[in-house]
Amino acid sequence: MSKLILRRIILAIGLIIVASALTFSIIAAAPGNVAALIAERKAGPSASAELVQQIAEELGLNDPLPMRYGRWFSDAIRGDLGDSLRTGKSIDQEFSERIPITAILLGGGGIIAFVMSLGIGLLGAVSNGRTVDHLLRAFALIGASTPNFFVAALLVIVFSVSLGWLPAFGGGSFVSWIMPCVTIALFPGSVLSRVVRVNLQEIMSRPFATTGFAKGYSRSSVLIYEALPNIAVPYLTTFGAQFTLMIIGSIVVETVFALNGIGAFFIEAIRFRDFISMQATLLLFIVFFVFVNLFVDIVCLFIDPRIRRETHG
Amino acid sequence: MNIKLDEPIFEVENLVIDLYAANVSVRAVDGCSFSVYPGETLAIVGESGSGKTVMTLGPLGLLPEGVSVDMKGIARSGDQNLIGQSEKSLAKLRGGNYGVVFQDPISALNPMKRIGPQLASQVFRLTGASKEKSKEIALDLLRRTGIPDPVDRYTRYPHEMSGGMLQRAMIALALAGRPRILIADEPTTALDATVQAQILELLKEIQRDENIAIVLITHDIGVVAAVADRIVILYAGRVAETGTVTEVLINPVHPYTKGLLASVPDLRAKQSELLTGIPGTPPDQSQLKPGCRFSDRCSNAIETCWQIRPTLKEIESSDGVHLVACPVEIANIKGKGNA
Repeated sequence: MSKLILRRIILAIGLIIVASALTFSIIAAAPGNVAALIAERKAGPSASAELVQQIAEELGLNDPLPMRYGRWFSDAIRGDLGDSLRTGKSIDQEFSERIPITAILLGGGGIIAFVMSLGIGLLGAVSNGRTVDHLLRAFALIGASTPNFFVAALLVIVFSVSLGWLPAFGGGSFVSWIMPCVTIALFPGSVLSRVVRVNLQEIMSRPFATTGFAKGYSRSSVLIYEALPNIAVPYLTTFGAQFTLMIIGSIVVETVFALNGIGAFFIEAIRFRDFISMQATLLLFIVFFVFVNLFVDIVCLFIDPRIRRETHG
Repeated sequence: MNIKLDEPIFEVENLVIDLYAANVSVRAVDGCSFSVYPGETLAIVGESGSGKTVMTLGPLGLLPEGVSVDMKGIARSGDQNLIGQSEKSLAKLRGGNYGVVFQDPISALNPMKRIGPQLASQVFRLTGASKEKSKEIALDLLRRTGIPDPVDRYTRYPHEMSGGMLQRAMIALALAGRPRILIADEPTTALDATVQAQILELLKEIQRDENIAIVLITHDIGVVAAVADRIVILYAGRVAETGTVTEVLINPVHPYTKGLLASVPDLRAKQSELLTGIPGTPPDQSQLKPGCRFSDRCSNAIETCWQIRPTLKEIESSDGVHLVACPVEIANIKGKGNA
């Protein structure tokens, strides 16, 4: 088993290198002369060609692409991601200020999505085919097809403007986090609730579920004690994928709720053509994606005795 | 349960079961009756789709999900009628009173849980023994079913064990609540021949020790001859013939029973002898027609066979009650008797 985990880790590192090289090339290929842009910001529209040339030299923009990537990546490994072109602060410092905010958003959202999906999925399975089941499915469908910004606006109108219960801006007290976290959790929570519901239904037609009934369990007990453990692997795998997608959601949600997290940082970097910040943030996204999925894979190895055995050979 | 030996422990009367799926309805069981007494083995025999599983597990509420079921009739257990009970009270009745052993032990045990704890939790739930005591009882149950090295097997997952071992574990699970009746739904079909014999022997042994009643659902006449006391022959949801195994297998009366016995391969048969089968296929049970269900495949059928539904009638027997649902054959026997 440890051999398999090691293989997964090596694969994950390889994936990080390939994905970051790809994003690095795409950003480098984006239209616009970065050196000219910086020169313009420093010296105004009349920046001389020499200044542009000098800046390009300083940033190493004249070197071939693989060399630039190699230099950037080896710096990144050592923890030096450069300085933001927009704020002038080091990216490390920006990250250390902003990551906690996004972490709270994703953590809260993740917990809500987890509780919501299991609750809705189980309740739907318990009320199998009755009105409640249909209502919950309709809710999940709406939740999975409503864009983040719309949900956010709706929540603000209802809970901040009309009712005045919750603040329209996040980032302060506990209550200020409720709306951002709910907004970001609605989509993954809805999708995952369907995963729970559909998988439970499939498991309930397996012979061992009938054995559960034969043991004298009620339907709800069969669902909880026999079926639920069996959906752990498909559920966690989808949860991992949905959780990583939440960081994309954070771009919109942080902007709407005026949170100074990573998502907002990324959007600002794009607006300012701050390619150093963009590259650093994308690297962070890639590392996040890869590690969450690696973590889920390893957890699944421990949960399912059958996967565990397959890896012995 | 208060048990009297001369009273059936489980009795089904005039059971009708309709199954609904999508837009078809099938009358899977059409007016069947049977009873089981303590200490005996009742074999329910029929081909696939004859309704043997539905008839036996249906009243207990053990049919697979996704099928709507409509049941009429009586399924008596003690002084309770199982038909029409709520899901909750049925669940309570099932646990402990009825042990069920299924066809495929590999898929009938929860793949995510170790064998021992699956057993121990059932013992804990039904007997109210302490956790430690439950584990001991579970180990004893494994030992009783003849599983070698039960202490090691206790910690195994289902996928780590063979089919035969799993069926033993399944039997141990069925016995956890000390049931008075054990329903075995094709318990040996998924196992290879030598293991089959061992499992049947184990069931017999348990029956001797506990005076348990066994309902054996099977399509294998060989299994019936080896272990059953009485037999119910089911054809297209109706009882064709029933009686003691010796009586029915030696003096079959119903044309379907005869056809069934004739199609059992005989190892001593000459090479030139062809294996006989029953011509035709079972009727479509979503179309209800009058008359005998077997008439289309029966070589003795007369006109009234397509018009009047035959009822079970007792015939002369050398061993126990022998009932047959075929007026033509009964008339033949009587004619011979009178001549």
